[in-house]
Amino acid sequence: MTENPINNRPEPNISLSRHLFNPFRVLAGSKALFLGVVIILLTSFFGSLSNTHFDGVLDVHTGQEAPIWLFFAENLINWLCMVLFLLLSAILISRSQWRFIDIMGTQALSRWPTLLTALAMLPDANRRFGEYLMSKLGQSGVSKTISSTDTITFVISAIIALLMIIWMVVLMYKAYAVSCNVKGAKAVGTFIASIILAEIISKVIILSLFSRAI
Amino acid sequence: MKILPVICPACNKQLRVKSLICEQCDTEVQGRYALPPLAGLCPDDQIFIQDFLKASGSLKEMAKLLRLSYPTVRNRLDEIIEHIKLAEKPDKNNRKEKP
Repeated sequence: MTENPINNRPEPNISLSRHLFNPFRVLAGSKALFLGVVIILLTSFFGSLSNTHFDGVLDVHTGQEAPIWLFFAENLINWLCMVLFLLLSAILISRSQWRFIDIMGTQALSRWPTLLTALAMLPDANRRFGEYLMSKLGQSGVSKTISSTDTITFVISAIIALLMIIWMVVLMYKAYAVSCNVKGAKAVGTFIASIILAEIISKVIILSLFSRAI
Repeated sequence: MKILPVICPACNKQLRVKSLICEQCDTEVQGRYALPPLAGLCPDDQIFIQDFLKASGSLKEMAKLLRLSYPTVRNRLDEIIEHIKLAEKPDKNNRKEKP
């Protein structure tokens, strides 16, 4: 006799790659929001230790000293700008009954690779390389030299930062697709438009805060 | 019980019911009957709908039961609704044709 599969509920099969690139299949709503906000705050704190600025939705720059509140403001602005434009996109194209908390939560959580970037930027070699670059560009009066270890550390940190940004964009898209139930060309198009607009708006707001703070 | 086949293995079209039998008295009814839309869903989707009813239609309960996020469960339900709507379409057209 063949067993009826209707009586056997299948276990969700979630691979490691799914956890890394689409954790929103199992995590969204208030849990994702809480975890995401904690990650954003930790990223801001670690970023302030090495003067790493996330001064735009897709930007990472290091070197410029600033008051600690600015590091927190930058990350919160980046997150909220992305939420705002994806919310408008969802209103425009989603036919599903999406929840605002899912967009907020999944977008906050999708920024978690920035925490790894902030940690990768912690070694002091990055600060020394930044100062060396400034002296080469003639922006600081003193001429500086740099060791090969510092150069290698900086290059590795820069590669990590670049990979983390790519990973974050993938996560942001997956978060949008899952939380608003959108797919196909419309989803990709509205996501690209949202990320470009969010980048511009976040950059403008952060630059205006920068000019007031420094 | 065997799994109810809903798709023709030869041409991939939706199957119809030709005969029904009473296990008590062996009375057999023959004809051409359409499968109800829910029977046209794949077994996984049928399990989902069954669980959804047991959870009193609560997506939150379903998310807990399936250990998935709320939007994932809601998206799955949206897909099933689309399937059912598609399955209902020819049926609606048939009803309109008949006076």
